[in-house]
Amino acid sequence: MRLHGVPVEQRREVGRYTVLRYRWPGPVEPGQFVMARAAGYPVAFDPFLARPFSFYDHDGEVASLLFEVRGRGTALLDRAAKIEVSAPLGRGFRLDPSVDKAALLGGGVGIAPLKILGRQLGELGVHHDVFLGFSDAPTATAAEDFPGAGVATMDGAVGTHGTVLDAIPDPKEYDAVYACGPNPMLAAVKHSVSGLCQLSVEERMGCGNGSCNGCVVPVRGGGYVRSCVEGPVFRAEVLAW
Amino acid sequence: MVVRERGIGVNLGIELCGIPLETPLMPASGTLAKEALGEVEGVYGAMLPKTTTPTPRAGNPPPRVAETPAGMVNSIGLQNPGVERFIEELDAFDLGIPLFVSAAGDTVEEFGALCEVLGSDERIAAIELNLSCPNVECGGLTFCAGPASVEEVAAVCRAAAPGKPLLAKLTFEGVVENARAAEAAGADALTVMNTIPALTVDAQRREVLVRGGLSGPAIKPVALRAVYEVSRAVAVPIVGSGGVASGVDVAEFMLAGATAVQVGTASFVRDPREILEEFTAYLDEVGLGVAAEMTGGLRHK
Repeated sequence: MRLHGVPVEQRREVGRYTVLRYRWPGPVEPGQFVMARAAGYPVAFDPFLARPFSFYDHDGEVASLLFEVRGRGTALLDRAAKIEVSAPLGRGFRLDPSVDKAALLGGGVGIAPLKILGRQLGELGVHHDVFLGFSDAPTATAAEDFPGAGVATMDGAVGTHGTVLDAIPDPKEYDAVYACGPNPMLAAVKHSVSGLCQLSVEERMGCGNGSCNGCVVPVRGGGYVRSCVEGPVFRAEVLAW
Repeated sequence: MVVRERGIGVNLGIELCGIPLETPLMPASGTLAKEALGEVEGVYGAMLPKTTTPTPRAGNPPPRVAETPAGMVNSIGLQNPGVERFIEELDAFDLGIPLFVSAAGDTVEEFGALCEVLGSDERIAAIELNLSCPNVECGGLTFCAGPASVEEVAAVCRAAAPGKPLLAKLTFEGVVENARAAEAAGADALTVMNTIPALTVDAQRREVLVRGGLSGPAIKPVALRAVYEVSRAVAVPIVGSGGVASGVDVAEFMLAGATAVQVGTASFVRDPREILEEFTAYLDEVGLGVAAEMTGGLRHK
């Protein structure tokens, strides 16, 4: 996998999450991701692997990633002046301009792809509402990046008490639902909505380009498919959840 | 392949089992998908796709990978569509370089039947027998474990694929005895070595995270030792594998006795092209113009 060294142009915090911006001219689909790591010459052995991150936003010139510091890999990335990123990877959300009303659902750090998705749906003129679920008030601060979004927290500190699904008055009034978050949340979304439903899954990844078969998800009819090349966005009915 | 670096011609070509390879590098089985082939043009001397088995395998349930210091543990479970579809889609791996195919079965008979199919396909230059995948239970059989079973499998495969170069991929445990057994059974070369059995634990959840095989730079010294010991015990050529992440690593494996070298886990975070460039620069720096002369070229103190 070719990783490109790019300087971090801006770092900011959104609640408990970090947003890094770097120059990346060229097309990006909402829901696509990159493999990224803090730059190390010639290659840092520990941590060794890059991590997958969905694009948070992309305006055609500048890309941004939103992530939560969870371990040493993300801690180093958080402080890096230069990062190594792959080209955009995977299959993103399929955008359908004929949709009347779309719901965008994000859970925790899974809010990431909703920013660029909302931007591109807006450009297509598709009406969409955003609903975000967080564990607590500190993480829910990230909702300030999504003006007008419905918010739920598991501890009830901000917005509706409960999951992101509790923040939606009627999930079935939407003819398209796009969601990203922990896999149990996505399974719950799948069983609560009607109409077109696309889910961006979270899996541990080794390579990001289909080679290692590490990031698989179970599919209907048996067996597994790789979330890095067949996904990370899947039509809900494909997944065996 | 002759590369000009700072004005000096470096010949990267080697010969393995009578097959000329333009560079001594090839992917380790299971680390290069057909979706990623565009990235490796001109880098590898041979192509080596993920292991094929007689019937389709769904593989192990996730999580399948976990990062560890300087490496990763994987437990994929040989997920693959089975040899029938593998053969149908074989042309996808045609990079205009020799195509090596990794094969595994649950029984001696399965290995034999598989080698019969692969041996008769002219597009396949050589077969690598995966005798050492740590992530697959052999249906109660432990025929991958010792020299007797290695010899039995290799002999059956030898007979099933006459004339087709045969490589035996070995695990670290008992590597010298298994190498001698594979050679005695007619293996033309040995791939040394596979991942090492390993475990990762999630202390927060008090659960096993991934029980599988360790790969990456963490295992490089172990693999070097294995290559070194095996090269002194057998006459057949060795393909070194285990933690190769730089051009100097390639040189180290060749000096320790390898004729060719596989790049695996490191290709997830590096462009293998850079590894070949570094190896070329190394040869230039030490004034060696011919890569093939590196093999076994350690000086004695």
